Amino acid sequence: MSSVTANNSVSLLEVEDLAVEFDTYGGIVQAVRGVSFSVEEGKTLAIVGESGCGKSVTVQSMMGLIPMPPGRITSGSAKLKGHEILGRTVVNGKEIRGSEIGMIFQDPMTSLNPTMTIGDQIAEPLQVHRGYSYKKAFNEAIRLLEMSKIPEAAKRARQYPFEFSGGMLQRAMIAMAIACKPSILIADEPTTALDVTIQAQILDLLQDLQKETGMAVILITHDLGVVARMADEVAVMYAGKIVEHGMVDDVFYRSAHPYTLGLKEAMPTNDPSLQHELKPIEGSPPDLFSPPQGCGYCARCPYAMQICNKRQPDDTFLAEHHFSRCWLHHVSSPNKPDQLYFKEEA
Amino acid sequence: MWIFILKRLVQGIFTVWFIATATFFAMHNVPGDPLLNDRATTDAIRANLEAKYGLDKPVMTQYGIYLGNLLQGDLGISFTQENREVNDIIRDHFPVSAILGILAVLFAAAGGVLWGALTAIYRNRWPDYVIMFLVILGISVPSFVVAAISQLFLVNVNELFGVTVLPVAGWGTVLHMLVPAMVLGLGTMAYLTRLMRSSMLEIISSDFVRTAKAKGVPPARIFAKHQLRNAILPVITVLGPSIAAITTGGFVVELVFAIPGLGRYFVQAVQQLDYTVIMGTTVFYGAFLVFMVIVVDVLYGFIDPRVRME
Repeated sequence: MSSVTANNSVSLLEVEDLAVEFDTYGGIVQAVRGVSFSVEEGKTLAIVGESGCGKSVTVQSMMGLIPMPPGRITSGSAKLKGHEILGRTVVNGKEIRGSEIGMIFQDPMTSLNPTMTIGDQIAEPLQVHRGYSYKKAFNEAIRLLEMSKIPEAAKRARQYPFEFSGGMLQRAMIAMAIACKPSILIADEPTTALDVTIQAQILDLLQDLQKETGMAVILITHDLGVVARMADEVAVMYAGKIVEHGMVDDVFYRSAHPYTLGLKEAMPTNDPSLQHELKPIEGSPPDLFSPPQGCGYCARCPYAMQICNKRQPDDTFLAEHHFSRCWLHHVSSPNKPDQLYFKEEA
Repeated sequence: MWIFILKRLVQGIFTVWFIATATFFAMHNVPGDPLLNDRATTDAIRANLEAKYGLDKPVMTQYGIYLGNLLQGDLGISFTQENREVNDIIRDHFPVSAILGILAVLFAAAGGVLWGALTAIYRNRWPDYVIMFLVILGISVPSFVVAAISQLFLVNVNELFGVTVLPVAGWGTVLHMLVPAMVLGLGTMAYLTRLMRSSMLEIISSDFVRTAKAKGVPPARIFAKHQLRNAILPVITVLGPSIAAITTGGFVVELVFAIPGLGRYFVQAVQQLDYTVIMGTTVFYGAFLVFMVIVVDVLYGFIDPRVRME
């Protein structure tokens, strides 16, 4: 199991072989089955995949946000600046949640406390982590709202969430998440619940703030358009595993996993020269109560071979930072579909 | 906010008028006669009595006089207690019932919120099971049984210590109030505990609590600032009707603990068909409850900003 590390330097965040399961009435669900990735300082990693592939669980387990029980981290490690954070709340005397890592969520309408003013909610992490007085924290909250480009911030800070629109709430969420200047911001589908024009504004804001503060961003999404716009690196997740990982250009222009290809073909485009019909990926993801013995995508893969059903494929590196986990890349694979990218023969 | 309060007050006045009207016509349709008693009365005496109480007039005229007196705050004279005004009965005995009721409501609300939050936090662990078992007990055992058992308990405790730790019955000091208030509030407390538990469970798994966790807010502060205030809203909504249940249900507890409250007069009046006392106490109770519900609504507005704005 290898993670993609640049120049052997220690990454800001390094996740190794993380696995999470949940006890349910139906049995044990293996939501995340050995995920490894790393995040570099100031860069954006996008984790892409369909609903239920384990992308949210991956980051929430790092933040200690999955309820235990029924949840359980069965293996793996996550190291922030070289220090283990799984199962801990404090690293080097600094609180992880809200201080080292900030997080924003999918639905800003329900993610804010309806009976607390926006300003109080943004001020809260400053009071908790920095020991600011209420007044100082509230003034800082107003400044953060201004930074998040909310007009009339001083007035807005005294309002309640129900007086804000969805886009404004997400801005307030972002202001709250970056209040303590975290080194990583995790954005769990930050634009899914917003309409398209607001989506663009929120993404712009995230990019601007990233430039200003130099924080790294882990962006979780199922929208390849968002990935193309924001990400430096992309990890494609399927059935609790990362099936392809690479720099954004590698994954988009040299897609090496049939699932990545499927996602791309299912993505709408406004380029008139690419007059193709949207192609859905047939079937549904495997049952994670009893994960398949072989490759998780096998049942839906148009190029599936006999071995795919029986054994897990390994990571095949196609470039320094680009790997695909697929039997088609094995040296003895008889099948090399034209649509996929393969390592050039030396 | 002021318009909201004014609107609720006008609504309240209509409600009280409706209660007064319904009670009046219901009373006049009950079979029986308040002036009929064991002593033989001649027609002349009877006619005099009817004239005294205005019972010889047509029903609609009586209704008009009744409403007119009501507007002036005059609830009339008792039929059975000689020369005693209903106003006097209320003035003498309602404060006792009110203190008992308020204590019971406070006890029920504080207990319900506390136990409910506790069971939600310890969901499916032993504190949850123990408290929920007691809650079912509290809901299903009638208050006169609890009252009798607690009296028995008090007698034994007092005997054990050789002094009166808490009085077994009667009225007068704070010590007299404690046990009856607890007994009276017990059923409501059990009900509020269940309500608070389900409300709290919903809040615990809500998105904004997850946000608070992700911000690194310590659990005690999450509980106080994020969970409690939101989970308490449904409890406050039912607090108005709970006050109704407690004050009207106070009769049994008042009787068992020999407390000179209004409840006894209320029930006695119904048995004796004492028209004015029945109507007077019913309208008074009605007005009191309507007022309490309005107070609770206003209180709700202070806790939930969304209501305040509308």
